Amino acid sequence: MDSSTIRILLLIIHILFFIYAFSVIMSYIILAIISAIESNQYMKKNSFVDYDDILSSTVSPSISIIAPAYNESLNIIENVRSLLSSHYVNYDVIIVNDGSKDNSLDLLIKAYDLVKVNYLINEQIPTQPLRAGVFKSTNPAFEKLIVVDKENGGKADALNFGLNISNSKYCACIDVDCLLLEDSLQKMIKPFLEATDERVIASGGVIRIANACTIKEGKLLDVNLPKKWIEIAQILEYLRSFLLGRMAWSRLNGLLVISGAFGMFEKKIAIEAGGYDTNTVGEDMEIIVRMRRRMEEKKVKYKVAYIPDPLCWTEAPDNYKILISQRNRWTRGTIETLKTHRKIAFNPNYNLLGMLSFPYWFFYERLAPIIEVVGMLYFIILIALDIVRWDYAFGFFLLAYLFSVAFTLVAIFSEELTFHQYKKKGTGFKLILVTLLEPFILHPVILYAAIKGNYDYYFNKKKKWGVMVRKGMAKT
Amino acid sequence: MSISQNVLQYFYQLPILLQIVWLCSVGLTLLIILFLFYLYYLRSYLRGEESVLKELFTQYETNLITYLYSGDIDVEISSEQKKISDKMKSCAKNTFKRNILISVLSKLKNDVSGEIATAINLLYIKTGLINYSINKLESKKWEIIALGIKELTQFEVKTAYNEINKYQNHPKHEVRNQVQLYYVSLFQFKGLEFLNNLKTPISEWNQIQLLEILQKFDDQEITDISPWLKSDNDSVVLFALKLAKIYNQFQVIEILLELLNHINKDIRICAIEILGYFHVKEIKEIIKPNFFDRSNEEQISFFKIFEEVIDAEDESFIIENTSNANFEIRFLAFKLLKMIDVNKWHAIKLNTTEIDNERIFNYLEAM
Repeated sequence: MDSSTIRILLLIIHILFFIYAFSVIMSYIILAIISAIESNQYMKKNSFVDYDDILSSTVSPSISIIAPAYNESLNIIENVRSLLSSHYVNYDVIIVNDGSKDNSLDLLIKAYDLVKVNYLINEQIPTQPLRAGVFKSTNPAFEKLIVVDKENGGKADALNFGLNISNSKYCACIDVDCLLLEDSLQKMIKPFLEATDERVIASGGVIRIANACTIKEGKLLDVNLPKKWIEIAQILEYLRSFLLGRMAWSRLNGLLVISGAFGMFEKKIAIEAGGYDTNTVGEDMEIIVRMRRRMEEKKVKYKVAYIPDPLCWTEAPDNYKILISQRNRWTRGTIETLKTHRKIAFNPNYNLLGMLSFPYWFFYERLAPIIEVVGMLYFIILIALDIVRWDYAFGFFLLAYLFSVAFTLVAIFSEELTFHQYKKKGTGFKLILVTLLEPFILHPVILYAAIKGNYDYYFNKKKKWGVMVRKGMAKT
Repeated sequence: MSISQNVLQYFYQLPILLQIVWLCSVGLTLLIILFLFYLYYLRSYLRGEESVLKELFTQYETNLITYLYSGDIDVEISSEQKKISDKMKSCAKNTFKRNILISVLSKLKNDVSGEIATAINLLYIKTGLINYSINKLESKKWEIIALGIKELTQFEVKTAYNEINKYQNHPKHEVRNQVQLYYVSLFQFKGLEFLNNLKTPISEWNQIQLLEILQKFDDQEITDISPWLKSDNDSVVLFALKLAKIYNQFQVIEILLELLNHINKDIRICAIEILGYFHVKEIKEIIKPNFFDRSNEEQISFFKIFEEVIDAEDESFIIENTSNANFEIRFLAFKLLKMIDVNKWHAIKLNTTEIDNERIFNYLEAM
């Protein structure tokens, strides 16, 4: 190749990188604008809603909270207490002990006066069999509690068991270590009950980080900002993701994922879709994509709703090792789901799902880390060849950094103007400080985890779930 | 040459792309600085507002309690009460304070009833808060109108009926919902007359709210629900079905039987449930002949209520359904068979080979 061909080739590569980066930035700006409109609408709509009538009504629909548990003995008693403290009347709590090797079941039996009961299960979704059986409490105070002890089959399998055993119309699938606020259920059920001209198939809630918050007897008493930068950086990341990203996708009815930590489904539709996929580590995203795909194929007008209120609080990783393991799994889950449902991509039969949501996820979630790393390698090669235009490089790096800072600040604004959870004096300063540092302290780790996730997906097929070591929110 | 001149000179000799990049960077830097200052201001403002809000809320609450319990409101208000009333009147002129005042009155109104509740309603009028609520009805913003209706509902202002009635077909369902809540909260069952001509759907959320309000009234004398059961609006029919069940409307059984063949599946299911609840045996004559043509949900609903209307003559139908493909129906069929003919149940049990059926038998045996 002569030098002019190389120059043209380099120029094409540069233009492609530029177009990609520009489109990412534009998409973020558009999503931020849409989310601002949607947040405004949501706050208006909810400014005069009275949830009390729904709470006490005997005609309000039944909800089952399904919480899979695996070796959760450290927190399980507190966590179940939290789940039992909902103000909603017509609900039950199904704890699926998924073959735990610790003494979770014994602890539950002791704490909640459980006894084994005769229970007929309609096995609409195939699952691993029961181990010790189904337990209910002899204490009327815990009459809403059902504990199932089954053979280990993974989180998806446990959730499917919960769907099989539930007698309710709606199921709220949550992580057992999550703390739900007392009014969570009525807020999550509202979109289902309000819809008249379309069918709401699922609703998803915001996940907030509970590290350093004051929690007593399963109740959130005080919201604090954690001390570690890695935790604060994740708070910022969640704010961006939930208050800007998902809020906008909710407005467009293009949500592809509802966090596995807290989501609600119409049970019938979830079962008809086949329940959770046990062959993926991204079962929370996969089930939504499958349910949506099914609705599109049946030509049913539907919606996946989203509730931005801070209803569900969970413990986030407080060290890089666990964080990498978590993000590695998320990456693999995304790859698996997008691959399984690749038929949807750019398929006009799937409307917005096929033409916008799915391609967006593919280009800006699935490919983003790969393109970023390719860009870095390319940059290193240019340095080695001593053909870097440093004035351009510096300008673009600075622009990217400033944009990321500005975008995070917009997310903080969104939080302040809507839910204003981090009220204490001094927390604003810490949030801003971490906003400035986040591109250096969190982003490289997330990028590494995503690349490792890609590697593990293609070259380490045996890898399934990572281990999440819990410290216990009750102790914070 | 000064530094700024140097910078400008450097800038102008840059390629256009780099000029854009630098301009954007400077713009973003300024924006970030602006954001930082505004964020500081916003957080300080929100903290301050929250603290004032708490303080005023407590103050108004104390004043209100003093007002309500420091004299006979029916006869003549005391000087202390007059003082509090005047103070509230002046507070009402400020939007921020007015909103707090209304939330204090609302909170207390929810906790009390009888004379005290009436006194709060009177105070709402006396302090002029009613005028602000009525003014909200003239707003161009739908959320303000909805809020105005909500306030007028809370403080039982029947005289605003005509102004509120204008919004019964408002394009925003949130406003329509508030109008409907107003009708029912203030005019009880008579308020349900809006159902006669309702063209828009009532969401299940709003139906539940309306039912809860109705159940709070002492007078549970319900008006005739027949026209609503025959409505072209499916949501009205569904709502009327809920009323039929809650208020034991046996006189509409004929219409309920007709609804078993309604075009809307949800209505058919709901009718099955209520007829079962009313123990109406005629349901069998309508459902059984075309049982297998009906949806799965209808079939399950029918079997769930079958226990209430079952006779020995239904045995063959039940046996037929012990081999139904649907697990739930099969289970219910076996359960019913055990109830009416335990010997036949045992006979089938001995011959069963299906694992699912074995589970059902084991479960029923242990019951």
